Amino acid sequence: MLLSLSWLREFTPYKGSIDELSHRLTMVGLEVEEIIRPFPHLSPLVVGRVIEKRQHPGADKLSLCSVNVGGPDSLNIVCGAPNVEAGQNVAVALEGTKLPGGQEIRKTRIRGETSQGMICSETELELGQDSAGIMVLNDGIKPGTGLSYALGLEEFVLDIGVTPNRPDCLSVLGLAREVAALFDLPLNMPVLNLYEDGDRDCTDEVQIEIEDPAGCPLYQARIISGCHIRPGPAWMRHRLMAVGVRPINNIVDVTNYIMLELGHPLHAFDRTLLEGDWIRVARAHSGSRFTTLDNQERELNDRDLLIRDTRKPVALAGVMGGANTEINDRSSEVLLECAVFNPLNIRQTARRLGLHSESSFRFERGVDQAGAPFALDRAAQLMSELGCGRVYKGVAKSEPRPCKPLQVGFRRERANSLLALDVDQEYCRRVLTSLGCQIQEESGTMQVTVPTYRPDITREVDLIEEIGRVYGLDKTPEHLPKVQKSLEQGEADHEYEFLDSIKQWARGLGLQETINYSFVGMTDLDFLGIPLEGRVRVFNPLSEEQDVMRSHLLPGLLYTLKHNLGQGNTRLRLFETARSFVQDQTSETGVRENNRLALMLYGRRHRGHWPYPQDDVDFYDLKGLVENLLQSFGSFEGHFVLQENHSYLEPAVRCVYHRKEIGLLGRVRPEQSRVYKARKDIWFADLDLDKLHELCSGVKPQFQALPRFPVVKRDMTVVAPLELGYQQVLEVVENAGVAILEDVSLVDMYLPQEQQEKKFTLRLTYRHPDRTLKDSEVDREQQKMVDLLLKKLPVGFP
Amino acid sequence: MNTVQELNNSLKSLIQEFEHILNQASSLQELEDARVVFLGRKGKLARIMSRLPELDPADRPGTGRTANEVKTELNRILENRKEALEKQAAAGGDITFDPTLPGRTPDMGSLHPVTRVIQDISNIFVGLGFDIVTGPEVETDFYNFEALNLPPGHPARDMQDTLYITKSLVLRTHTSPLQVRTMEKRRPPLAAIAPGKVYRRDSDLTHTPMFHQIEGFLVDTHVSMADLRGTLTAFAQRIFDPDVKVRFRPSFFPFTEPSAEVDISCVMCQGQGRNQDGSTCRVCKETGWVEVLGCGMIDPEVFLQVGYDPDIYTGFAFGLGVERVAMLKYGINDLRMFFENDIRFLNQFA
Ligand SMILES: [Zn+2]
Repeated sequence: MLLSLSWLREFTPYKGSIDELSHRLTMVGLEVEEIIRPFPHLSPLVVGRVIEKRQHPGADKLSLCSVNVGGPDSLNIVCGAPNVEAGQNVAVALEGTKLPGGQEIRKTRIRGETSQGMICSETELELGQDSAGIMVLNDGIKPGTGLSYALGLEEFVLDIGVTPNRPDCLSVLGLAREVAALFDLPLNMPVLNLYEDGDRDCTDEVQIEIEDPAGCPLYQARIISGCHIRPGPAWMRHRLMAVGVRPINNIVDVTNYIMLELGHPLHAFDRTLLEGDWIRVARAHSGSRFTTLDNQERELNDRDLLIRDTRKPVALAGVMGGANTEINDRSSEVLLECAVFNPLNIRQTARRLGLHSESSFRFERGVDQAGAPFALDRAAQLMSELGCGRVYKGVAKSEPRPCKPLQVGFRRERANSLLALDVDQEYCRRVLTSLGCQIQEESGTMQVTVPTYRPDITREVDLIEEIGRVYGLDKTPEHLPKVQKSLEQGEADHEYEFLDSIKQWARGLGLQETINYSFVGMTDLDFLGIPLEGRVRVFNPLSEEQDVMRSHLLPGLLYTLKHNLGQGNTRLRLFETARSFVQDQTSETGVRENNRLALMLYGRRHRGHWPYPQDDVDFYDLKGLVENLLQSFGSFEGHFVLQENHSYLEPAVRCVYHRKEIGLLGRVRPEQSRVYKARKDIWFADLDLDKLHELCSGVKPQFQALPRFPVVKRDMTVVAPLELGYQQVLEVVENAGVAILEDVSLVDMYLPQEQQEKKFTLRLTYRHPDRTLKDSEVDREQQKMVDLLLKKLPVGFP
Repeated sequence: MNTVQELNNSLKSLIQEFEHILNQASSLQELEDARVVFLGRKGKLARIMSRLPELDPADRPGTGRTANEVKTELNRILENRKEALEKQAAAGGDITFDPTLPGRTPDMGSLHPVTRVIQDISNIFVGLGFDIVTGPEVETDFYNFEALNLPPGHPARDMQDTLYITKSLVLRTHTSPLQVRTMEKRRPPLAAIAPGKVYRRDSDLTHTPMFHQIEGFLVDTHVSMADLRGTLTAFAQRIFDPDVKVRFRPSFFPFTEPSAEVDISCVMCQGQGRNQDGSTCRVCKETGWVEVLGCGMIDPEVFLQVGYDPDIYTGFAFGLGVERVAMLKYGINDLRMFFENDIRFLNQFA
């Protein structure tokens, strides 16, 4: 809401500074977001008097003017306007002035004659549309006076952020009420002095019929006849422009002026275009069409409210008038509407049609029904005073739902306890009264009658807020709460803690945390071959790139990779913990949210050059990270199983932990990674953190006595065909039932050139818990495993 | 010359020879090589000793003693020389050693600045006795709006442009649904914070469609505005600066009454509105204050939704934007950096 300071001062005699006013308004919840000087470019302009006008010797259409601008010497100014005459007061841009359009005034010669400035038109100063000639000002002004001052232009405008609960503050009047209460000033309402003209009575001319009283509790109208449509007076146009409203014509300007001043949107119909003698307010028929003022044809539904004449709809109630009855240059009679519409109706219509106007904005939040008659009369009075036309007697009116002020009980103790204050009854009474409430006291409690312009106050707590607001929330006491809390309740939710431990783990291993958007594009998922089923679509996405909730973390990280490669960051060790989203009718919201951990490795294995080999990361770097994670939970039982035909990983390896599949790791298929500008392999793992959390919760270390007898170590080399996995050899050895076998590790793997077979060298560690082992028994046990390997697997021994 | 003399001379000459070689040795490895040559199983001393049986039985003990003395002496010389070499090495005598070469530094990981701020904030509130709770990001209209006193058609719904999944399912626009979910599950007294992702249908220089919030709330009997103010002032001073000033401005949220917005004195210009060089501060737009969170006393309507008696219980709630705090705390000036994940950006938060 833009508030002009001079307009405000017409309602309450605030004499203080603009900064003090801004601060106080901000601290009562009317945040001043900006202090605007609405016509900054006009401040260097001055009023000049044309002393003499001569014909330019070199050009028919130019005049040479001698202009007094207050100084000892008058200026010579060449002027091309047809209407310039000696004796006029005019707007002069002196040398060095920059006009709103960007033009800078310099001393020049025009066809051989010196010009020391410029006499300006309204258009050049962006004060109006009249470009036919220069602006001619009132006679009484002294030459040299600042133009802004001479025109009475607004000096300051406050941009105030009005919260949606305060529709009353969407008007000069409402803000003036607040200012008057804050600074203990009187509130001066404009004096109504409406002169009703002629013998015809509006109530004889127009009947109002309301079919939907809930949608329209009040409709009233006046008739202005003998209209002359022309631009409104300069002071009104300037004031409207200062608060960002474009002047249209005298009738429309008055409706806008009253809306800004009193908060009531009005609408003016060209009455000569209205058919019949009644106005009907009714719901639209579903599917019917209506063309609004902006010449757009709109399709309506049965929740939209229409204003109709005898034959046709003429306005979309509260939102926008119709093109068919719009005020135009030839309008000779006006029907002026001042009504109240249901906020919900207006809101749904405005939103559905994307038609947000100053009028719908106010109706959506709620206008003061009790104030409507005053607004209509003041508008009619202005129209009459400004010579727009003559006002008929009477008001055509229907008010099926009169409004009644609300009564709310108020306990001072409750206010003091909630706000931690100690204010007395008299203080509360004074504050509430200053805000327009009426108070009756009954045995200690106050019955507060709330003014109809404050729809936000319906309960005791709302009145308490008013006390706090005016007292100053910033001045109330403060201390840390003293709360007794049961320790039992702290147990419920460990999700945050677990995720945090995962992040600490990843950071410790030199991975960098990324955060990507939770939504991706359908095409991103399609591209990775992820099935359509179960996707959670965004109904109203901002763009196609963000139209589905991610079911996989890979696309986001691929975009991160692409961005980094584009920036020349060619070595990436990334992780992300985030939720994936899949439809699941068994979950509370119908969407299953699953915490995942994604790891991505790309480029060189080591960050430095010397003394490291300059090779790139591979599968075993990634697998090592996953194994490290599993070990960090106290046990190492991860199994890794190759999966054929995965849609975006090749190879794709499933990770199985405690017999549950917890994730997948592998290399992003080259044909897919290329699209993200990757020139090397992208190694990617995606793990289910919820499953891991479940498997690992409750796992705690179990102490085992340290061994007291020495180990015996033996190496065993196994020759295996290429397709045989290390895991298979390991499983046979570990399951051979050799009790004294403590550990098996791979010490070497050799792939001979001819590539027909490979050699694993295993180091077997033996130990007996209670005595020192003899060589012979170790030999015997090792032979047992050799025999078993030969029996179970196609292996040999060198 | 008889054998006894010959052996005794050979033994004694070993000492000089060994000393000479050791003095020339410049590394521990060379010492070890010399040790093997002289004192090894097949070394010079051993070879001389192996000739003892050639002597008269009467001469054997004397020569044997000499041999042992020589052996002791050789070992002493070796130890001395070793010690000297080690001292020399420790004193930097090894000219191949260059301490300025790069070390084998493991990779430095990093946590996203959003995570760091959430951790900092969580630590403060956990220290004050708050629990940490989490909840769904795809939320029902009921929890996201209705239960928070935002019925359908409420104009305050416009304050948050919503991304919908279905008519009744939204991407949560704030972490406030956790107030309701937690109150449903527990009974007062309770105090919790809820960090997490939230979503709005908004994308420009100062808005991203996803960002992070932390909701905090406390419910008990006799909770007052003073408790809220005390908590948030303590919080602001710990997270930003012990000298930071905190200002409470009345505002409006449908689920709190009274409601307030909290400003802190601008951390960039120390609340002056102008930088040290006199230029205007862009962070606070010259006001000296920056808004960091919204808060208020929990509205009685919210208590009614979860079956708490508003005549018995009162409470406060607040919500703050994590990215906003991170920008102020770390001086980040571009919101979009948070989700580009440029590692040169991430590296700064190791
Ligand atoms: Zn600042």
